[in-house]
Amino acid sequence: MSSTQGHAPLLEMHGIVKTFPGVRALDGVDLDVRAGEVHCLLGQNGAGKSTLIKVLAGAHQPDGGRITWRGEEVTLGSPQAAMSLGIATIYQELDLVSGLTVADNIFLGREPARFGITRAAVANAAASRLLTRLGHPEIRPTAEVGSLSAAAQQMVSMARALSQDARLIVMDEPSAVLDNEEVERLFAVVRDLTASDVAVVYISHRLEEIRQIGDRITVLKDGATVATGLPTRETPTREVITLMTGRAIEYVFPERRARAASDQAPLLEVQGLSLRGSFSDVSFSVRPGEIVGLAGLVGAGRSEILETVFGARRATTGTVRVGGKRLRTGDVGGAVAAGVGLAPEERKSQALLLGDSVYRNISISSLARFARGGFLARGSERAAASEQVRSLDVRPADVDREVRTLSGGNQQKVVLARWLLRECRVLLLDEPTRGVDVGARSEIYALVRDLADRGVAVVVVSSEIPEVLGLADRVLVVADGAVVAEERADALDEHRVLDLVMEGTAHQGVPVPATTQHEGDVA
Amino acid sequence: MVWTLGAPVPEEAPLPSSPPPGPGTAGRLPGSRAAAAPRGPGRRLLDRTLARPSTAAWIGLVAVTVFFGVQAPDLLTAAGAAGVLDTAALLGIGALAVGLLLIAGHIDLSIGMVAVSSALATGLLVGEAGWGIWPALAASLAGALLVGLLNGWLVVRTGLPSFLVTLAAHLVLQGTALALTRAIAGRTVLQGLGDAPGWSSARAAFDSSVQWGDGTFRISIVWWLGLTACAGWALWRTRLGNAVFAIGGARRAARELGVPVQRTTLTLFCGTAAAGWLVGTLGLVRITTADGDPSLMPAIEFLVAAVIGGCLLTGGYGSAVGTAVGALLYGVARFGVTLAGWDPLWFQAFLGVLLLVALLANGIVRTRLRAVPLS
Repeated sequence: MSSTQGHAPLLEMHGIVKTFPGVRALDGVDLDVRAGEVHCLLGQNGAGKSTLIKVLAGAHQPDGGRITWRGEEVTLGSPQAAMSLGIATIYQELDLVSGLTVADNIFLGREPARFGITRAAVANAAASRLLTRLGHPEIRPTAEVGSLSAAAQQMVSMARALSQDARLIVMDEPSAVLDNEEVERLFAVVRDLTASDVAVVYISHRLEEIRQIGDRITVLKDGATVATGLPTRETPTREVITLMTGRAIEYVFPERRARAASDQAPLLEVQGLSLRGSFSDVSFSVRPGEIVGLAGLVGAGRSEILETVFGARRATTGTVRVGGKRLRTGDVGGAVAAGVGLAPEERKSQALLLGDSVYRNISISSLARFARGGFLARGSERAAASEQVRSLDVRPADVDREVRTLSGGNQQKVVLARWLLRECRVLLLDEPTRGVDVGARSEIYALVRDLADRGVAVVVVSSEIPEVLGLADRVLVVADGAVVAEERADALDEHRVLDLVMEGTAHQGVPVPATTQHEGDVA
Repeated sequence: MVWTLGAPVPEEAPLPSSPPPGPGTAGRLPGSRAAAAPRGPGRRLLDRTLARPSTAAWIGLVAVTVFFGVQAPDLLTAAGAAGVLDTAALLGIGALAVGLLLIAGHIDLSIGMVAVSSALATGLLVGEAGWGIWPALAASLAGALLVGLLNGWLVVRTGLPSFLVTLAAHLVLQGTALALTRAIAGRTVLQGLGDAPGWSSARAAFDSSVQWGDGTFRISIVWWLGLTACAGWALWRTRLGNAVFAIGGARRAARELGVPVQRTTLTLFCGTAAAGWLVGTLGLVRITTADGDPSLMPAIEFLVAAVIGGCLLTGGYGSAVGTAVGALLYGVARFGVTLAGWDPLWFQAFLGVLLLVALLANGIVRTRLRAVPLS
């Protein structure tokens, strides 16, 4: 690796811009990658990593910026163009053909063939060599890919990239489906590649992993490079995290009411909740009027915890009680009936009917209330929605407007209004201010606090640690699928939380799927 | 209200409905199944057999043959076999082409009407225009290929679902072929084509037969089996075959890896059109009559046979042999119903049940395929 230091970069991307209708996904990304290095790409969900690697793979055409490959300016006009330069991409969602054999998949589109007739023996032998090089000689080239485990399929993807004789391999969260031992083998492969001067762009949320394998880091935030060329080992984790999550403006948080209802029985009780491969043994309770925050890195399992509480994922073990009544796991309808509401992270795709009116979006979870003999009483439906719109101050206060035309903050209010109309007692908020203007955030905070004061039990997940600290009464720190600390919010500060997060990661080591501690429960 | 939440779970989430891991994998992490689990060779062979696309169809074929063999023992004679094979051959040629298209993730509903239309076109050229049979056949083949190209081009260019594109083609053909035939010939049944020049060689190619015992085995069977063998081999051993699977199974990857997606799709649509033409021609030469009655050439049964044979509607999965077994199953059932003396109307109901059972069985097979890693 060090032998290539100082050489001209293999790849340089400068000022890359990519817009999609309504979204500026990349807004000035810089990236330079040297031959023989592992260059880590960090950033939160939505920071633009996926778009960037699609540009690099030739799947997206940038609207602006310059790409230089081995000192020459190039246009990556198509995936084949990128491939022929020697840029191979291993996507997170594997794009293998399950009906074909391992060898067919590796050489798909470039099969060794004579007059269109594939030379299976040649392909099989070559596939076998590649898989052996990857440390997986036990994967038979003639096996059908659909019959392989996820980890083995990952290796087939990797073998495909290798077979293209790539100079640069982009790996999008390659460790996500691998266990400890397999990650070690993956690293051995990566080291082997870099030793032969292949560059690797490595995307992972696991900082520990990046420290182990990476040479330099580029951090993306909101579609732009906020730091590039950071040395992996010398850069403090805290700095990296601040770059990823950092914010420029202080928000105004509503005052906590001192009486935070410590005398009341908890409304939401989560006991020993585990989801295989995601988080394990999570317990907490929320009283009426209380806001509990979950802090941690993206990928630590926070959203999964909320979704499992809500029943959108089926817990491996553990119980959720609302008002003392146990919820059936994996039963969203039951959770909603018990008064639980979720405002999911991906508001536009998961929570809203964008093309529909404000009032229909608000009433959709309470339609039974407005049904008269199977028909909806539009009048009372609109009236009830109007009342919510007024009380939450949705602007413009026009219930017939398409939700699509509202700002992020007002869309979030519509989601909240939906659950208020449903008279929900437990509100789960996943990144409530994602995509909300800075100015409107304080409003959302005030609203959430107001809901709590009305007796709702609130759980807030946010990547922005100050948000959790400012909004919540109590904070659970989540790292690698486990709760590593639970404290009063006013007893914590941002750096203490980050320390806890990193400590948790350090103790847990590289990707320990949460269930290793519960092997008895598995099988 | 449907909520879809969150990014996919990083691990292949073990759904409660998936069968429990085998004894060799107990207690392992789900991601580590690649490590070879101890497993007897016999058990492995069984698992692999169960995971073939055509397995359900084979089992169904045996079951239906035994069932009708008992109901109508005549089925198991040479004459019975000849009848079954003849029915299966005509259906199987179409099912094969449709099956290939299904593997590539597309569908063709127009194949039956292509068969009817190309027979009518041949009949018109021979009967009304006085052409020889071979030039007429060549012209109708060209016409059929044109329809296939148009179907394929529309699908490739517009990205419209092939279901709708070919449904439209089906309707257009049905109307046009019949109306034109009636306008030109004054009727929609063209008879007495047997005097055309070249007829005897056409009969040799499309209507010769071999007598074996009391069964008359027709040459359509040779066409069917030959084409199935060719297609099976092509799927298994050619770049075209890989492309077919890739287009249906991972279209984005196929495109990005430089697999000729458009060309392959066009080829396959031409394949179904040519198969339709062949089915129409085999029928035409046999009875020296082109009959425009669309009820004689149902659109959907080619599809049914292919699906029974294990081709997935979603693409990426299936086999040529499977379509043949599906067609054979259809043949046994159709002929069995007749031989057993049932009201032929029962056949449709039977076919529906068969289709449903085959789909369910295929579902189980595929779950098994995922559940049992082979290496």
